[in-house]
Amino acid sequence: MADDRLDALAPLFQAGGYHHIAPPILQPADVFLDLAGEDIRRRLFLTSGQDGLDLCLRPDFTIPVARNHLAEGAAARKAAYFYSGLVFRQRPDELGEIHQVGAENVGRTDRLAADADMLALAVEAVDKLGGRAPAIRVGDEALFIGVIEALGLPKVWRRRLRDLFGDRKRLDRAIERMAGSEAAEKDARLGFLAALEGADPDAAHAVVEDLLSIAGIEAVGGRSAGEIAERFLEQAALATGAGIGPQAAATLTRFLDISGSLEDAGAALEAFAKDAGLDLAGPIADFRERAKLIGERGLPLDAITFAADFGRRLDYYTGFVFELHDAGAAIAHPPVAGGGRYDKLLALLGAGEDVPAVGFSIWIERIAEGAKA
Amino acid sequence: MSDNLIIAIPSKGRLQENTHAFFARAGLTIERPGGDRNYRGRIKGLDGVEIAFLSASEIAREISAGSVHMGVTGLDLVHESIDRPAEMTHLVASLGFGPADVVVAVPKAWIDVATMADLSDVASDFRGRHGRRMRIATKYVRLTRGFFADHGIADYRIVESAGATEGAPAAGSAEFIVDITTTGSTLVANNLKILDDGVILKSKAHLVASMSAHWSGTALAAARAILDRIAAEENARTVKEIRALVANPKAVATVAGESYGCTAPFGAVEGQPLVLHCPAGDVADCATYLRDAGASSVVVSTLDYVFETTNPFFSPLEQRLVFRALAGDKSS
Repeated sequence: MADDRLDALAPLFQAGGYHHIAPPILQPADVFLDLAGEDIRRRLFLTSGQDGLDLCLRPDFTIPVARNHLAEGAAARKAAYFYSGLVFRQRPDELGEIHQVGAENVGRTDRLAADADMLALAVEAVDKLGGRAPAIRVGDEALFIGVIEALGLPKVWRRRLRDLFGDRKRLDRAIERMAGSEAAEKDARLGFLAALEGADPDAAHAVVEDLLSIAGIEAVGGRSAGEIAERFLEQAALATGAGIGPQAAATLTRFLDISGSLEDAGAALEAFAKDAGLDLAGPIADFRERAKLIGERGLPLDAITFAADFGRRLDYYTGFVFELHDAGAAIAHPPVAGGGRYDKLLALLGAGEDVPAVGFSIWIERIAEGAKA
Repeated sequence: MSDNLIIAIPSKGRLQENTHAFFARAGLTIERPGGDRNYRGRIKGLDGVEIAFLSASEIAREISAGSVHMGVTGLDLVHESIDRPAEMTHLVASLGFGPADVVVAVPKAWIDVATMADLSDVASDFRGRHGRRMRIATKYVRLTRGFFADHGIADYRIVESAGATEGAPAAGSAEFIVDITTTGSTLVANNLKILDDGVILKSKAHLVASMSAHWSGTALAAARAILDRIAAEENARTVKEIRALVANPKAVATVAGESYGCTAPFGAVEGQPLVLHCPAGDVADCATYLRDAGASSVVVSTLDYVFETTNPFFSPLEQRLVFRALAGDKSS
């Protein structure tokens, strides 16, 4: 059954200039663990090669396709791929084989238009596969980054918050912590930290580094004395309440709560920026332009939902993300397709620089479920 | 699997000695015909019981697989080697030995790191600085993963380490470790410190039952016999028997029960010495009370075994097995 529907799909991709690609099923496990984190290990089917190399059955297509792309020429060259095949993930009480089709587009520098094209292609592909008119949900990490930059948060907090973007619960907890005083959870070192605070940063840095070297400590556990000193001082700044205060936290929460149709989202974001007194002109202009381009591709903007807190926790995703949900199913139901922009992936795989890239995958079985229901 | 009850116990080391001592205290002598090279044994005088001598980590796996009914192993291994331990196993009894903590330990030089929250910051910063994730050396892959996920830390890699884990940071094969420690002295010797909130698990040796094994009637009866003796010994060890002749035994027994937690296993009969079982720590106070209540002499003795109708070790196990049978026996 699936095969018939896929036959109908190939011409759609080919018409858009996409070439079929079939990356190897066996992949080096390290790559996935490095990119997605140790937590993915329990979902991998692991095995080992003759030379002792850890291998896994590919758990997705995006990374294998990107590796093929890198292996075959200059990283930044333009290329468009489509694929169809199995990915393998350990799932309790379910078959570990999952059929996916999808597309990846690498190297287009007109990012906003590429985003819009990719979303339109995903919607058309789901339609061709017999999915009901899907509910579409979009997000944009660039806006979130814009907000935390504009709020002028300390570097530590910007990093903490970025790490958690896409996981609303954890993010809320972090914001709560940020609003309270970091000092509350610190200990006896507080006095020493406070004494350091306000001292000339270079001098303080030297003092701490000296202390460590007097104790005979050099690079231990892969971190240099300088690195330890630097973060120690960073803590000093936080501990004595480089007071971020409840104001910034409330503003951030207000931003994350923004959601609504894509048609109204631009205005809502502008109202927020004006009200909070933040300069978000750049990211909002991009956001509006992309929305316009999506509309021009025939997608109804009033039926697309934007949520400011929607993102992926994988750090190679850098901006626009989207999900297609079966129209009949609740939003909590897993999406039938998901995609987004991952400009950092090729750099992390060794390209040396960020390369614009965007793509999506469709879970065939979820469409089948939806169509039956 | 035959109908016999199979108990897996550690085949070597201090864990083995302690296990033998534990069973011996309950009057159960483990026999290993042929000595250390034999991997099967029995309990003297008990039919229907087989002892399997295995290494500690194998024991947890065999319990999970259901190829043994019960085993002696540490909680650390139960949680590390078994997926969904609460479902697959039943903790029958804590054996009171082998205490050790599974902990997160970092180099002492990391003066900026005291808590898991600090570690989270460092992990994220480290990746930006060095272009790779921080490495944790450990043999507790599952425990580590779960604990770090709970703390929202994703920027790390696990380097599996079979032994001498505490040396990994100094050797440069990992930045920090997750390991088991009893006193912490090995960690100190290797210039490592435990994070304030870095205790992942407090472990102790346990008698653990398998929820996936097939429990025949014979196996269950044998388990009852063994657990009865263990419970009887434990009961006997924690109470002393007090005998005293008092005027109004019923009233005295009631007061002794309320004030000192005593029980009167044989009732209180007028004109006969009152027999009380008193928690060992309260014996002296109780004796004083009895003399105040008119007893001319109070005799206290130590007991060997106290068998009771309900068994705190066997009853919960039996209940879970009954429940499992009702829910549909997956192993059959």
